[in-house]
Amino acid sequence: MIYGVAALGLLVAMLFAIIRALLGPTLMDRVMAVNMFGTKTVLLLAVLGYLAGRPEFLDLALVYALMNFISIIAVLKYFRYRDLGQSRVRS
Amino acid sequence: MSVGEWEALINVVLLGLLLVVTFGIIRLRNLFGVVMLAGIYSLLMAMVFTLLDAVDVAFTEAAVGAGVSTILSLGTLALIDSRREKIPFRFQFTPMLVALVTGAVLLWGMQDMPAVGTADAPNQVHVAPYYIERTPVEIDVPNIVTAVLASYRGFDTLGEVTVIFTAGIGVMMLLSSMPVIGARRRRRRNGDDQENDT
Amino acid sequence: MMDWTVIASGVLVISGALLTIVGAYGTLRLPDIYTRLHAASITDTLATFLVLAGLAVPSLVAGEWLIAIKLLFVLIFLWFTSPIASYSIGHAAFFAAQKPKLDHDLTDAEGGTA
Repeated sequence: MIYGVAALGLLVAMLFAIIRALLGPTLMDRVMAVNMFGTKTVLLLAVLGYLAGRPEFLDLALVYALMNFISIIAVLKYFRYRDLGQSRVRS
Repeated sequence: MSVGEWEALINVVLLGLLLVVTFGIIRLRNLFGVVMLAGIYSLLMAMVFTLLDAVDVAFTEAAVGAGVSTILSLGTLALIDSRREKIPFRFQFTPMLVALVTGAVLLWGMQDMPAVGTADAPNQVHVAPYYIERTPVEIDVPNIVTAVLASYRGFDTLGEVTVIFTAGIGVMMLLSSMPVIGARRRRRRNGDDQENDT
Repeated sequence: MMDWTVIASGVLVISGALLTIVGAYGTLRLPDIYTRLHAASITDTLATFLVLAGLAVPSLVAGEWLIAIKLLFVLIFLWFTSPIASYSIGHAAFFAAQKPKLDHDLTDAEGGTA
């Protein structure tokens, strides 16, 4: 039951993150909301694994913790350089 | 509450969050915001898949949907005018009617199917025991899912691999930043040369 | 049923979940991108530690050290990467010339560049 209540709490926090992603007037608000949502996903996957009695879900949480970071850095690199390839030297 | 009831409640809440995100994707004007919301949608689907005990599908959904697909969409947005917004929304009656009728017919046709996981459904009685009994005899690999994918349903896998490979080639050619293939870079370089000449 | 492992794990996990709700509510109410980043980074560091520590307690007591090591790895990856991501978002926001919402105008008070 503890894990169920904690999972519901994490889902409420995810709802707030989604509202911020919908509302956020600037683009950086949305990027921050997606980053926060990714961290909540990792926590919720771990809690759901314990709730269902199968801690093997931790592998998925491990993969996702890294994928989230890489995709956020790729998004920010795009916004900085307007290009996703190698960073061009602006001459 | 038992574990099954908690899982059902969390499933319902996750589907509700999917509805909120879908509403946001439809109504949002800015294309970058839509790409971010699509990433959130893929994350929610990955969690629904883990609740349905399909961890490998959740792996694929999280890695592809929230990682690669977001980056590819941003690469596509880099090729077009970055200030462009979506075309304005006009309400059309006929497509909505077709969608509603198709959905209603599908829901009505679903009533005849057996419930999820019942023991006397046709696939549990005929198909699954065949795979379980014949795999150690004919194929002798420890994972039955691998045997089904690679041997019993091999043509299906061949078709899927062809589709994914073709899509990958198409995306690479569109988004390539290599100067030999990328047309936009070639145009820009030719344009710069012309500017330097005059 | 109510031995100390259940109570300890429950307290840690529930307090971690409460902290994530507080941090997420902060991103809704605070006025500016920079202040919202402060609120969001609470959930990345402290709440993560509380939730994962609360999940590790039953595994350690039951003797399954592999699961506890996996949880430790998730914690280490999140602790290394989340502050970098938050800093990068703040840096990108500053580079996009988003001014923080202040009570006074910086140029007037400092007499120079903002």
